[in-house]
Amino acid sequence: MPQSPDQLYSVHKTTIWFAVASIALVVTLVLIVFQDHNREWKTWQEEFVELERKKLKENLQAMHSKVDEKRLEDLRKELASAQEEFDRNKSEFEKLEADKTGLNVDLVKASARYEDLKQHYDSYKFFLEEHREQGEDEKAAQFERKFKGVESKLKDAKFKKEQIERKIEEIDARIFSFQSVKRRIEKEMNEFRRDEERLERKLKELEPSLIKDMINAPMVDFVAPTLEIQQVVLEDLHEDFHFAKAQRVDRCTTCHLAVDRAGFEDAPQPFRTHPRLDLFLSADSPHPLEKIGCTVCHGGSGQSLSFTWAAHTPQNKEQRKAWERKYDWHELEKWEAKMLPLQHIEASCAKCHGGVVNIPEAPKLNQGRALAQKYGCFGCHLVKGFENRWRVGPDLRNVRSKLDREWIVRWLQNPKAFRPSTQMPQAFHLENTNSEGDRRRSNAAIEGIATYLLKHSNTVSLESPPIPGSPEAGKKFVEETGCLGCHTMGDTSVNDHGPELVYLGSKVQDNWLYSWLKNPKHYSPETRMPNLRLTDEEAAHMTAYLLEDRNEQFDASVIPQVAADDLDGLAMGFLTRKMRQAEAQDQLRQMELEEKFEFVGEKMILQQGCFGCHTIRGFEEAKQIGTELTKEGQKEVERLDFGFVDIDRTRYDWFRQKLKNPRIFDRGKIKDYHEKLRMPHFGFTDEEAEALTTFLLSLRVEEIPLEMRKQLDLREQEIEAGRLLVSKLNCQGCHTLDGVDGRVRSLFSATLRGGSATSFGGEDVGKEPPVLDGEGAKVEEVWLYHFLRDPETIRPWLKYRMPTFDFTEEETNSLVKYFAYLDEQEISFLREKVKTKAATVAAGRELFTQFKCIQCHQGGETQTITASFLAPDLAMAKDRLKPAWVIEWLKDPQVLQTGTMMPTFFPDATTPLPAILGGNAEQQIKAIRDYLWTYRPEEVTEVKGGSS
Amino acid sequence: MASLIKQFVNSICSPVTIFTFGTGFLILFLSFPKQFTSKWVSGPLAILGIGFFLFGLTDPHFRKIVTTPDNVPIVALLFLMAYFTWYAVRKAVRNDERLAQGKAPIEKEESEQKVLVFPYLIFIEFVVALFYAIMLVIWSLALKAPLEDPANPTISPNPSKAPWYFLGLQELLVYFDPWIAGVLVPTLIIVGLCALPYLDRSTKGSGYYSFRQRRVWVTGFLFCFWMLWITLICFGTFLRGPNWNFFGPFEAWNVHKVVPLVNVNLSDYIFIKWLGIGLPKQWFIREAPGFLLLGVFFFVPPLIAAKTFCRKALQEMGAVRYVVAAFLLLMMIAVPAKMYLRWAFNLKYLIAIPEFFFNV
Repeated sequence: MPQSPDQLYSVHKTTIWFAVASIALVVTLVLIVFQDHNREWKTWQEEFVELERKKLKENLQAMHSKVDEKRLEDLRKELASAQEEFDRNKSEFEKLEADKTGLNVDLVKASARYEDLKQHYDSYKFFLEEHREQGEDEKAAQFERKFKGVESKLKDAKFKKEQIERKIEEIDARIFSFQSVKRRIEKEMNEFRRDEERLERKLKELEPSLIKDMINAPMVDFVAPTLEIQQVVLEDLHEDFHFAKAQRVDRCTTCHLAVDRAGFEDAPQPFRTHPRLDLFLSADSPHPLEKIGCTVCHGGSGQSLSFTWAAHTPQNKEQRKAWERKYDWHELEKWEAKMLPLQHIEASCAKCHGGVVNIPEAPKLNQGRALAQKYGCFGCHLVKGFENRWRVGPDLRNVRSKLDREWIVRWLQNPKAFRPSTQMPQAFHLENTNSEGDRRRSNAAIEGIATYLLKHSNTVSLESPPIPGSPEAGKKFVEETGCLGCHTMGDTSVNDHGPELVYLGSKVQDNWLYSWLKNPKHYSPETRMPNLRLTDEEAAHMTAYLLEDRNEQFDASVIPQVAADDLDGLAMGFLTRKMRQAEAQDQLRQMELEEKFEFVGEKMILQQGCFGCHTIRGFEEAKQIGTELTKEGQKEVERLDFGFVDIDRTRYDWFRQKLKNPRIFDRGKIKDYHEKLRMPHFGFTDEEAEALTTFLLSLRVEEIPLEMRKQLDLREQEIEAGRLLVSKLNCQGCHTLDGVDGRVRSLFSATLRGGSATSFGGEDVGKEPPVLDGEGAKVEEVWLYHFLRDPETIRPWLKYRMPTFDFTEEETNSLVKYFAYLDEQEISFLREKVKTKAATVAAGRELFTQFKCIQCHQGGETQTITASFLAPDLAMAKDRLKPAWVIEWLKDPQVLQTGTMMPTFFPDATTPLPAILGGNAEQQIKAIRDYLWTYRPEEVTEVKGGSS
Repeated sequence: MASLIKQFVNSICSPVTIFTFGTGFLILFLSFPKQFTSKWVSGPLAILGIGFFLFGLTDPHFRKIVTTPDNVPIVALLFLMAYFTWYAVRKAVRNDERLAQGKAPIEKEESEQKVLVFPYLIFIEFVVALFYAIMLVIWSLALKAPLEDPANPTISPNPSKAPWYFLGLQELLVYFDPWIAGVLVPTLIIVGLCALPYLDRSTKGSGYYSFRQRRVWVTGFLFCFWMLWITLICFGTFLRGPNWNFFGPFEAWNVHKVVPLVNVNLSDYIFIKWLGIGLPKQWFIREAPGFLLLGVFFFVPPLIAAKTFCRKALQEMGAVRYVVAAFLLLMMIAVPAKMYLRWAFNLKYLIAIPEFFFNV
């Protein structure tokens, strides 16, 4: 059956479909334009305009209510009367105006004539000179005539013009005087309204209007839209796109529109003002927006304009969920520099602020760093920039003289069971080694470590206390001589630099403790514990007191028996790493029991990296066992093993988890005992873990141009070296220094400062260890040098002692430089000379007597007043103090040391003793200083006699 | 129930089962084209396929894979390919019936009607082009181009996938060395396609759909395109996950999935497992069995065929064309054959000469 042609095509139907297609095409075109035009940031900008208008209206209202309505009303009245006055003389005013108009016409004419003549004059002058030069005398003469003629006319014209000008000025002055009152009032009124008008203008600018909608409409919005992308182009900072470096461009301000403007502190995000405009963004802060931008600190993709693509990072799970719901947010997969969550933002500071112990205004990062040092992170993990740090655990090279095997075994089982506050982390019996088999293996390992340590230890000679000490006296000495400047004891925990002084009776013998107290460096040459120069009795009493405290529960804890099988199994595990099964068995068979223990001990020390914190014989050259952390803050998340732990796949979540429970990532995994994660458990609190996470996130290697970084000059470098030493030796445990209040000082003045009385120290502020702020300006470098090497008594009434640290030459110099540079001093190891004249010295002596200086600055032993009033013996002054400092000190002691008991003798550069040296305060101060430089201790009684 | 189905599907999903079942179904389909293209069979089959897809969408993992903007065209490809295959075969079946009754094919009747190309055809084509443009615009508006964050050379995506049209070749990389999968096979595909008109010079079935008249060629084509191209692309798109591991359609892509790799060379089988004499040092002795096997594969079947069931074909085609056609056909068979050897015997290479990087 032949088909009809209609079955193959129909023009009518095709036309209909054509119409449908055309309409659909138009619709899709509109959709394209709409989708292209509809941008996230525009919505935010529109919302911000609304917010700004609301704020402006509020401000306007506030301003309006502040306007002095009465004054404004008065002004209006004045204006009205002035206007009346003006109207009365209107005819005269109008006449003047008319005159002025006429004169103006004349002036134009006169000016034109003058200009014409000037043109001719210049022209004739040129030709005259030219012809003369060419020697064409005839022509020259002709032009000379013309020139002369014009010259006189020009003079007349100028005179006429100036006359008219003067007349106009006169008329202007009269017109002005007519209007002056009115003008003044109007000006004052304007001033009243000026701010208000400015706001009103602004408000009007922000008002929505049809025109605005039109210039922001799609396809025309390239001309001059009111909604625009905002950006900061950072000249000196770059963005690393791996293949190319591009100038950093931050467009954050496109949505964060008020981030650098005060006044939006309570606005909802993204419009909130930056909380620290004094530090960031504002033009006069150290980090101005135009120079630093946003992403170099916050991270994120500065060029992106959408919430997700800018790599915003939520602070926690709740925020993450909320963002996913609200903004359809997801984590960027490949952009490495995601924004730092706010709680870790300080990590960025380290990008530019390198080489310093503490970064100003970054407390969390500083805390993290301090914790990393305190807990010995650098012992196992290499971190560039933190290489030359000290070992944090005690030296174990002579451990045989100190500890016995049982104690070591009990301790390793669980250090916190002995002393809950210990920094020693737990390495055994943790989550991933908690099965019965692993526990037995660990017990064998612990026994092995104890064996190894005792075997590879020397003995040192120990002295026994010469007298049986009295615990009561010992307690007093421990509290009063300075132990608490580093150690915690009982309820007093102002310092936790050294181990807490508890349960020592369960740990050491009296001869060890006595010898240790007498000279810590005898047992351990590298210990940070200084020598307090204790007498034999003091040391004996303290020994007796410290040994009283025992941990009965710890002493009674059972030492697990090690089965031979477990020991062999453990040893085989180590042996088969290097040799075949059969060979390993042969080797094992040849070992004695003790040898086996020693072998597993050595291997276990190597495996656990004990030598990272402790000095152990045989491990002097051993390598750090942990991962290098230099670039940990930019490690790819893929390279972190999350195991089966259900946490967010982010660096900081992983860090936090690792710090809180280092072995958790073994959970659910099948691993051999030797392969298991080995980072020990430190028991960090949430706060500590967060600080350490911030520190880890700060470990990045980024190319920030040198000129953009904070660079330390030589002096600052010396200061930082000193600061490191100060933190190592805990100087601020006693002394107020470098902005930190001496920690132990709070104990002394507890009652004075409203706290409860303590059993020691009394309530005398004068017994506190001295404040060292300004020390560099105060004392001579050479004196400081000798003092640090071998402290002498300056304040005999202090019971706290400056210990002998046995500084090396290098350390001493470093500290001297630190103190000097901290106070912007030049270093000189020569004492500054003071030239004295007999007359001034005599005057000085007179003043000295009159002011009764000796009453507080007592030499000798007799102390008749409370310690707060006592002051150092002035016989030391000329060796110790800088002459310039003494002058400044006498001028106003409170300036140099707030709260000092030293009286101000010369308030406002006046003297209470006008009779001496003509009553010149400056000369008197100098005279006292000069006298001090000749002062001899023998004079004490004489001067005293004079004063009484 | 749903999870049972998912588990079942996951458990039977592997390259070998899908490939075997696919090939089996293709053979079945071409053995009974009339029955399979009838609405009583094809209808339920279509419903089953679409139903499975819809059911799959309820699974988050399946949904994620098929709705990824990159993969949506492959889903469309799968359904469109099924439809067009069905459409063509149905037409062929009808024509075959007509031819059997002594009638001319439908196309012949249709071709007797004349319509001017311009304006009628052009007009229709223009309207179709408009609709096509609309579809593309809407598609691009609805599914954003999957542009990602700036590239980071230290993080390579896992799995790293080729563009979809190369995924078939990428799948072959599992079984072949790059020079075969990436150079030899594509070249032979192009050369083979170029050679087709010179090999098949029969005028039968030209200009109209027919199956019975070109059974060998249609079957060969459908096998090549469906099994060696579309199926492999679908493997690569939907079923190959991190580390190029194979995952069932409802299986979450676990980066840490470990599957044993225990593939062995032919020479190991022969000299170590069977003869127990250790590998010969000389590579040509060591690989002799492989060469022998390949020689047998490429020379014996054509010879036997020429003497037996292809005698007529040889006469029609002449020696040169017969040899070329046989070579191309054998190469086509060689690809799945090697895959089956891998699946069945964990065979790594037939010939492995690391001395100069020649592995087959």
